[in-house]
Amino acid sequence: MLVIVLALPIICGLVYVIVPWRRSLGWLATAAASGVLFLGVVLSARVVSGLAITGAGGTLRADALSAFMVVVIGVIAVLATWQGVRYLDGEIAAGRCTRRHAALYGILVQGFLASMLLAVLAANLGVLWVAVEATTVVTTFLVGHRRSRSSLEASWKYIVICSVGIAMAFLGTVLVYLAALHVAGHGPGSLDWTSLVANAHRLDPGVMRLAFALIVLGYGTKVGLAPMHSWLPDAHSQAPAPVSALMSGVLLTVAFYAVLRFKVIADGALGSAFPRTLLVIVSLLSLLIAASLLLTQRDYKRMLAYHSVEHMGLIALGAAAGSPLAIAAVLLHILGHGLAKGVLFLASGEILLTEGTSEIENVPALLSRRPVLGGIFGFGLIALLGFPPFSLFVSELNMLRAEFQVGLGWAATVSLVCMAVIFGAVMSHGRRLLLGQDSGDRPLMTPALVAVPLIGGLVGCAFIGVSAWPLQSLLHAAARIVAP
Amino acid sequence: MSTVSHLVGTGLVSGVQVVAVVLGGPVLVGTMRKVRCRLEGRVGPPVLQPLIDLRKLFRKQRMRPNQATWIFPLAPVVLVATVAVAIAITPLVTTQPALSSSSDLFVLVYLLIVGSTVLALAGMDAGTAFGGMGSSRAVTIGALAEPAMLVTILALSIGAHSSNLPAIVQGTLAHPGSVATPQRLFALGALVIVIVAESGRLPVDNPATHLELTMIHEAMVLEYSGPDLALVTAGQSMRLALLLGIFVNLVAPWGLSTSTQSVEVVVGLVALAAKVAFVGITLSVFEVFTAKVRLFRLPELLAGAFVLALLGVVSGLVVR
Amino acid sequence: MSGSGYSSALGLVASVVLLCAVATLWRRSLGAIVRALAVQGLALAGVATVLGIHHHDAGLLVVALLVLTAKAVVIPMLLARVVRGDPGSRETQPLVNVPTSLVAAGVLTFLAFAASRSVTSLVPTTAGRLIPIGLAALLVGFFTLVTRRKAVSQIVGVLLVDNGVALVAFLATAGVPLLVELGASLDVLLAVIVLQVLATQLRSKLGSFDLDQLTELRD
Repeated sequence: MLVIVLALPIICGLVYVIVPWRRSLGWLATAAASGVLFLGVVLSARVVSGLAITGAGGTLRADALSAFMVVVIGVIAVLATWQGVRYLDGEIAAGRCTRRHAALYGILVQGFLASMLLAVLAANLGVLWVAVEATTVVTTFLVGHRRSRSSLEASWKYIVICSVGIAMAFLGTVLVYLAALHVAGHGPGSLDWTSLVANAHRLDPGVMRLAFALIVLGYGTKVGLAPMHSWLPDAHSQAPAPVSALMSGVLLTVAFYAVLRFKVIADGALGSAFPRTLLVIVSLLSLLIAASLLLTQRDYKRMLAYHSVEHMGLIALGAAAGSPLAIAAVLLHILGHGLAKGVLFLASGEILLTEGTSEIENVPALLSRRPVLGGIFGFGLIALLGFPPFSLFVSELNMLRAEFQVGLGWAATVSLVCMAVIFGAVMSHGRRLLLGQDSGDRPLMTPALVAVPLIGGLVGCAFIGVSAWPLQSLLHAAARIVAP
Repeated sequence: MSTVSHLVGTGLVSGVQVVAVVLGGPVLVGTMRKVRCRLEGRVGPPVLQPLIDLRKLFRKQRMRPNQATWIFPLAPVVLVATVAVAIAITPLVTTQPALSSSSDLFVLVYLLIVGSTVLALAGMDAGTAFGGMGSSRAVTIGALAEPAMLVTILALSIGAHSSNLPAIVQGTLAHPGSVATPQRLFALGALVIVIVAESGRLPVDNPATHLELTMIHEAMVLEYSGPDLALVTAGQSMRLALLLGIFVNLVAPWGLSTSTQSVEVVVGLVALAAKVAFVGITLSVFEVFTAKVRLFRLPELLAGAFVLALLGVVSGLVVR
Repeated sequence: MSGSGYSSALGLVASVVLLCAVATLWRRSLGAIVRALAVQGLALAGVATVLGIHHHDAGLLVVALLVLTAKAVVIPMLLARVVRGDPGSRETQPLVNVPTSLVAAGVLTFLAFAASRSVTSLVPTTAGRLIPIGLAALLVGFFTLVTRRKAVSQIVGVLLVDNGVALVAFLATAGVPLLVELGASLDVLLAVIVLQVLATQLRSKLGSFDLDQLTELRD
């Protein structure tokens, strides 16, 4: 079954290669994404009891954590591919994009999804690395899809910085392999995650320290943690909106999933003190930088991108805490952030399409001119800032609780201060965007086809916030894997 | 008795070395010039021309600038004397020259530096603009090459655990494979660049230039004539021969005699001549294809030599 | 292969890798820098070959061939194509001038030796003692990436970092499993292709490869 999960986007991509582009083909992508979501739910039901499913001769493995990530990828992929149709329509209508480019976009998005799924389903740390590197290569072209000067600059910065980060992550993987060789000798299972976790206490601590530091720095570059975050605002603001939604909502967290897998090994080899310290430093740095740079943003897409940096910092802080409650909250936050950020980026794509500019001052009074769209954007911002009933409220609260319980109270306080600063900044930017002088135009209606998935995403986010019952057992099972 | 005979023996062998280099240095320069000319499509002067020039210069009249002081006539003598002493204590023909316990790389380097410092002073002493310019340029190059030289010596001494040159050469003779170690190769690479800088060959300085503004060494000695000029020219060629001789004996010390017996000394002499000629010809072929590096790019070149030597030290500490 | 012959051969090729990394800081001409990269790929393949012969491991020899084609032939050819399209193929004034960069390279080498002591103590073989050289090559590549302005120099920096990591991988563990090595080489090749395409697109938009002209996105 795991192979089918991977095969769906690959087949869809192959169809795009063979068949010339038509508008209806865009819906094929949404169908493939829905298939992935469905299979993810089925997978979760089967692995929630703690068993793991293997596939493709042991190369793929799904436990509760992987299944949860597949669900996250599926949900946001559905939203993004739905909006993708609209984005491509707009680009073709504006003459910026030919049919061939549209087909290329479709292929690349499917490749992107396939490599992310491979990353979360990989049983072998080497395959995980290959998949994450593949996502970098594929998304570079997606970021530069619009071929403008600034998007070219953004994609250059993206691939250069992320390539270096990935190379460091490779070195970290090699060092883990080295430590494992000393314990278990050569063999096909030397990079297998389960056997590494089982042997973790016998791995050499000096090498594991260096390896984990390289992993945090390397994969952390793809997560967008400071000080390796400089590619994030450019790439996420210049990419097409559905791609930004996918990158910000899912890719960052897939990279963090890789860090979590390594953290389990590092906890076994080093105890939780060193990994915790490292993650706390990186997360606080991200929070501080995001807070200070959000104050002066003039572009709403860049604002959202810096907000991602902040949330990744929060996630890293929660992972640093490391208790089962913290990890469950982190995973819930991953889902909630993915939904809310995805909806926001897609809405901003819609705004960009109809208003033509991404500067906040040039889009005033959105609420009165585009009530539905403005409402979605506003509710999305509220969700991201951690208001109830949205799930981010619950997850942030639980993360703070767990951090205080574990003794990271001072870090939690710093994060609270940063969150307050960010709260103020985003509120003021949002107010300027949504409210303001009404120019007296008639309010435009947003087409239902566009609004429905966005509203659905927000409703889902709220639903999970209010009652997490469909996910509770899955979250606990996944948390038990990371924090036994 | 054996100590005295040993002393006499090594003294004689050192004397042979000095005579060989005094006569062979100009021949080396002549050979290099001939090879260069042939490659450039000219016939060129005969190989023994520098020796003939020296003989001619010794018979010419000595002229001195009016404002020159005692440094001016002293400098050529000091130059030749220091280089001769350096030749005497270097293992060129044998691994046991005179005073071999003092034959330290640092001593050699500083003997050569004394010579060039005095010559630079004499260049300024002449009181002309070109002399001062040449002296300042020469001293700049010396200052840049010196750290590279010192670290190169360090890299060379790590393997042999001593900076005594005969000891290093004997170590290389005993373990020929030690030349292929990364530390030795890096150090020799750096040494090549430093030798080119110290002896004033392309791409650092063009010894055949006639344009005063491009001169470095020639500008310093522009005012010398007659026997003074002969001594300066002889000193320069002896220096080149010495440096190349040190280089070949560090790379390929085969043929070096390990005692003071006359047969072995002759063999050593022939081997030295062959090896130095080979390296010299290679150097002049390289010179045909190189252009002079601009003066402000010289720090880059010599910094590269410094880093090469540093890499040699680092890899020497690691690869044991 | 005899013991001392093996250790000097391995030491030699490993040092050539580091030397090529330093050469990219030393030379100004972009063509020379790409040639240094090609020589480094050759030396890397040499490391894999020496290790393969010593351990009688045929897989390593296959990997050496892979590295040779990818890093010593294909990638330099792609880069040479980019360089040919550049009218002024010299590095414009770098952020840190050449002598200072060279001294910094020496300092980074020492740093690499200090940082990798735990790794070398875990692998006390001849190959393991050379691991710091790989780490030093990595750091020098990183330095090149940060202090050079031309697009090609930055690509070369990324590739130097990659080669440094590959050297450490070979020396520490005699290579990672073949599957991972294949995937890694493929990814690197793809990344270079992407970079090359981007660089060409950049040039058509900006008219030159000077990345200093990319200043639209800032806070």
